[in-house]
Amino acid sequence: MKPLRIIVPIKQVPETGAVKMDEATGVMIRDGVEAIINPLDLYAIEAALRLRERHGGCVTTLTMGPPKAITALREAIAMGVDDAVLISDKFFAGADTWATSNVLASAIRKLGDYDLIICGERATDGDTGQVGPGIAAWLNLPVACYVGKVELIEESRSNSEMPRDSINRQKGSTDVNEVNRTCRVRRLVEDGAEILDVCLPGLITVVKEVADPRLPTLRGKQRAKSATIPVWGAADLGLSRENTGLEGSPTRVVTITRPKVSRICEKLIAGDPASVHTAAMHIFKHISADIGGLRHD
Amino acid sequence: MNQYQSVTPSMIEELKTIVGAANVVFGDIEKLEPLSHDEIAERSYAHMPECVVRAGTAAEIAAILKFANRERVPVTPRGAGSGLSGGAVPLYGGIVLLCDRMNRVIEFDRDNMTITVEPGLVTNEINPIVREAGLFFAGYPMSLETCFVGGNVAENAGGGKAVKYGVTGRYVIGLEVVTPTGEIVRLGGKLMKDVTGYNLLQLMVGSEGTLGIFTEITLKLMPLPRASVDLLVLFETAEAAIAVVPRIMTLGGIIPTAIEFMDKTSIDASCQYLNETINSRGAGAMLLITVDGQDAAQVEREYDVVGESCFACGALEVFVADNHTTSERVWKVRRNIAEAFKVQSPHQSLEDIVVPIAAIPKMVSGAAEIAKKWDIAIPCYGHAGDGNLHATPVMNPAWTDDEWHGKLPLILTDLYRLTVSLGGTLSGEHGIGHKRKEYMPMVCSPAHMEMMRAIKRALDPGLILNPGKIFDS
Repeated sequence: MKPLRIIVPIKQVPETGAVKMDEATGVMIRDGVEAIINPLDLYAIEAALRLRERHGGCVTTLTMGPPKAITALREAIAMGVDDAVLISDKFFAGADTWATSNVLASAIRKLGDYDLIICGERATDGDTGQVGPGIAAWLNLPVACYVGKVELIEESRSNSEMPRDSINRQKGSTDVNEVNRTCRVRRLVEDGAEILDVCLPGLITVVKEVADPRLPTLRGKQRAKSATIPVWGAADLGLSRENTGLEGSPTRVVTITRPKVSRICEKLIAGDPASVHTAAMHIFKHISADIGGLRHD
Repeated sequence: MNQYQSVTPSMIEELKTIVGAANVVFGDIEKLEPLSHDEIAERSYAHMPECVVRAGTAAEIAAILKFANRERVPVTPRGAGSGLSGGAVPLYGGIVLLCDRMNRVIEFDRDNMTITVEPGLVTNEINPIVREAGLFFAGYPMSLETCFVGGNVAENAGGGKAVKYGVTGRYVIGLEVVTPTGEIVRLGGKLMKDVTGYNLLQLMVGSEGTLGIFTEITLKLMPLPRASVDLLVLFETAEAAIAVVPRIMTLGGIIPTAIEFMDKTSIDASCQYLNETINSRGAGAMLLITVDGQDAAQVEREYDVVGESCFACGALEVFVADNHTTSERVWKVRRNIAEAFKVQSPHQSLEDIVVPIAAIPKMVSGAAEIAKKWDIAIPCYGHAGDGNLHATPVMNPAWTDDEWHGKLPLILTDLYRLTVSLGGTLSGEHGIGHKRKEYMPMVCSPAHMEMMRAIKRALDPGLILNPGKIFDS
């Protein structure tokens, strides 16, 4: 039986709370700011490790970033991930979610045989949540976002049976012990949850409910320190400059500003309901004028 | 006996002329009640003030103290009220002198590596100010997000980093003090050495608001460590964990910044309170060890040595937190233990015993025996690396309140007797206040007590400043 392989793309971000923007250039200030694994990616790593603990196999992580992003990969290894690849090239700088997902998809294609890709819901710096689904689009995979619970269903089947997910499975396998792997996920949506079966290979993005991330261990840190982490550039992925980085990014940041924080305090004096109501309405009108009119549904 | 006068409306009028009408609270029970207690869980230690005065300057405080001596009204200075021995509780009513308005940073002096602040500044606000200059203030009480610098100095607060950096007093090099009789005095300065006369500066540090009120505090700053790593180490039993503490320093040759001890009850309470799910693998105790330094590679070597020593002593697992996110995660568990216990039950006595570090294992096993003898729980946590343990007797839920209040002094006497037999004492960092004053004779000889009383009488002949604390005058 082919062992399970999970791939977890992660991102290195500035430490939460330390995110600052340069208003003149519209670019994030990263100098001198501690960089960490995107906190929401930790849930993806944890989900992958738990599936591996249950079903065996291996977990590979990768990130696209500058050379120093290797510390994020080492941290993931310290948590228990098996191996890692750094996707780094000066051409990749300035990539939007389109170019980033393209590069990551190319790297995953190069890694080859995989069952499941697990991404964090979004990165705490860019906050788009687009890269995960973007990878699925480039790889033509089924995708389920906002997954709060994931379980892997493995069904043995012999060659004589028709593969249930024949679209996604390579045909002509001679392995009599081959398994069908499906992911049953619980997607958190606005008005409740959906239970979906995702054919594998597929991609899911997970939310915090999926599992609390573990802490890295000393043995993990020691392993991470000595781990060999290959670095793949544009040439390794067969990508040209026009498909990557700023050049390969259709997104243009026109302007970016910090919203003005104004704390206008108005004290409500307790009184009879009518006068409190009048005072409250007065304040609401004030606010609505500030934000350009109230919506009346 | 009450040798003091009650606060009268005419006195209030005079206080209003000193600090302004808006800064005097009188007769409003709802506003006075929060100032009747500190963070001690048991409400029996609380006492209502008669009025609250929010002073804005040293001159105002001096005028208030002169007024108080004349009128024979007691004055209890108060910072953020995060204390744990009753220091800010107005035991004889009178005036609570609140310093929350005095929260300015007076001067940050990079060249001399000092910062001079007013007493009402929140401790946690110092480091963001000095960080850019590559400096930090090493004081690190667990309540740092709320406590005031003034209170830290008054109680000589300790905290998590004392193993390597010592306690608050080490960093206090200058004070402006209003004496109990209303004189304004400057002690020390920006000097690294000063033997000019008695060391009154350090007499003020830890005087629990009984000898003077600080109006300016000059703190020594240290170079900010560039690297810091926390290890959260799991052990099967409390004994196994605590046995490692002295060995880390003696065998490993490394003085960590912090060595915090938490037993299972403490961990579970805090994790439940925080909704934290660290996989403790059924561990009976944990150590939280911090190593810091200027060089990341050296810090890495040091935590490796510390971690391996822990494994050699039977650690079940060593977690490593080397960035702000994971570090906060593990420290939060430690910092929230006291609060978590408080939420569970007010019937507990958060103790602060301190013993020589080599005696820590005996202290922990002895506390367990006392718990067994009295059929109660005594969860233990604290700054194991400096011998300071927060053993916390918690009421047996089957007992009535009266039973608990009847037995607690006996339980505490057992605990203190053990502490003293190991060469320890009552309080490492929380202070005596009125919570522990009756036990003072267990650790201080009559001559020692009389020295302290003589100092109090000399500086505060009217006994108007925070009376009833540390000892009865």
